[in-house]
Amino acid sequence: MSDAETFEEPTTDGKFGLAEHGAALIVVSLIALVGNTVATENTLPQGLVGLIILWVMCMIGLLMTEYIPLKLPSVAWISLVGILATLPWMPGSAWIVDKVSHVNFLTLATPCLAYAGIAISRREIDIAKTSGWKIAVVAVLVMTGTYVGSALVAQMFL
Amino acid sequence: MQIKEILFDWRLHLAVLIITVIAEMIGIISLPIGIGSILLLPLLYAFVMGLLINPNVIPAARAIMTEREVRAATPMIVIAIMPFIAKFGTIIGPSMQTIIDAGPALILQELGNLGTVVLAFPVAVLLLKMGRESIGATFSVAREPNIAIIADKYGLKSQEGAGVMGVYVIGTLFGTFIFAILASVLATTGLFSIEALAMACGIGSGSMMAACSGALASAVPEMKDQILALAGASNLLTYATGMYLCVFVSLPLTEKLYDWLAPKTPAGE
Repeated sequence: MSDAETFEEPTTDGKFGLAEHGAALIVVSLIALVGNTVATENTLPQGLVGLIILWVMCMIGLLMTEYIPLKLPSVAWISLVGILATLPWMPGSAWIVDKVSHVNFLTLATPCLAYAGIAISRREIDIAKTSGWKIAVVAVLVMTGTYVGSALVAQMFL
Repeated sequence: MQIKEILFDWRLHLAVLIITVIAEMIGIISLPIGIGSILLLPLLYAFVMGLLINPNVIPAARAIMTEREVRAATPMIVIAIMPFIAKFGTIIGPSMQTIIDAGPALILQELGNLGTVVLAFPVAVLLLKMGRESIGATFSVAREPNIAIIADKYGLKSQEGAGVMGVYVIGTLFGTFIFAILASVLATTGLFSIEALAMACGIGSGSMMAACSGALASAVPEMKDQILALAGASNLLTYATGMYLCVFVSLPLTEKLYDWLAPKTPAGE
């Protein structure tokens, strides 16, 4: 199969530059804003302020991905920005924590999974079909193994 | 595919918006089973609804979604997880003391990722009689960095490549479900401490971590912040150490085990 040659790493951001990332993040944030308003007690303005702060954090993280010569995925940098901004000894952290508390974290994951469901390609379905039930059994064991294994080790050292 | 096409693919974004609203309106459903309970989360319905309008899954969906939307959706997954990750960071920051207190356990639990080999490898080789694809399939949880390792060492067209891709695809299709169910069931059985289960959620995929820690936090709402902080910290640590663990420990280990356990005259070669 020549398909394997053209396999693209799904997380590759491709030619998305900073401006495109910013614009795409606005689209996503608007969807999240509606979701947040439906799912929680938070008002639209509260959610909006929270999401603007999160948007800024994402952009700083993306800037770091581009300019810091360390091969870490952008999500790792974004996570770091969020952590640093909210450390208790950081000036202004209490304000940030209060503002982003109006955005529900689980709701933010919902649009992501919707995109993921729509993104399943023919090729991925074909792989699942040809690899068959054996690989499915192994995959479930792999996921269970990593989860139970990590929990077991953590439990021993807590 | 042009970036503008992805950004202005209004059908795609509108579909995601509608799915999000429906999923959030349904909310969390708790299903009690014998040993615990399974929590169904909005993100899981969103995934299923996405699949249901995916023309590759349901051909009739071609009327609303085309191959164009499918291709535009792929780069959007990573973008959509970014605000979630940022929010996660803001939960980790204020809980830094909890994380420091859990430090040794947090760092050492990374070794638990070798559980993929312990549990899955013997079954793949001895029970299912799989060939070298068992190496690619079981050395890791098969997320993108792990695919890169296999692609680099064996090529994706090799048997090892088929193994890692197979698990990757099953993980993509069902990973969020599996982790959400594992987490909610184990949380209600009381076999493990909630902190340990939270740390174990930090596997190398944003959406799986979301499902896993979300299920845990919904199962034990009074420990929500602690759960999210530990899962997030563990996830960050996995980004930093996971690759090295795979390259220097788990992949050489599966190679050795294969030489050792695999039948000397492998079938089908």
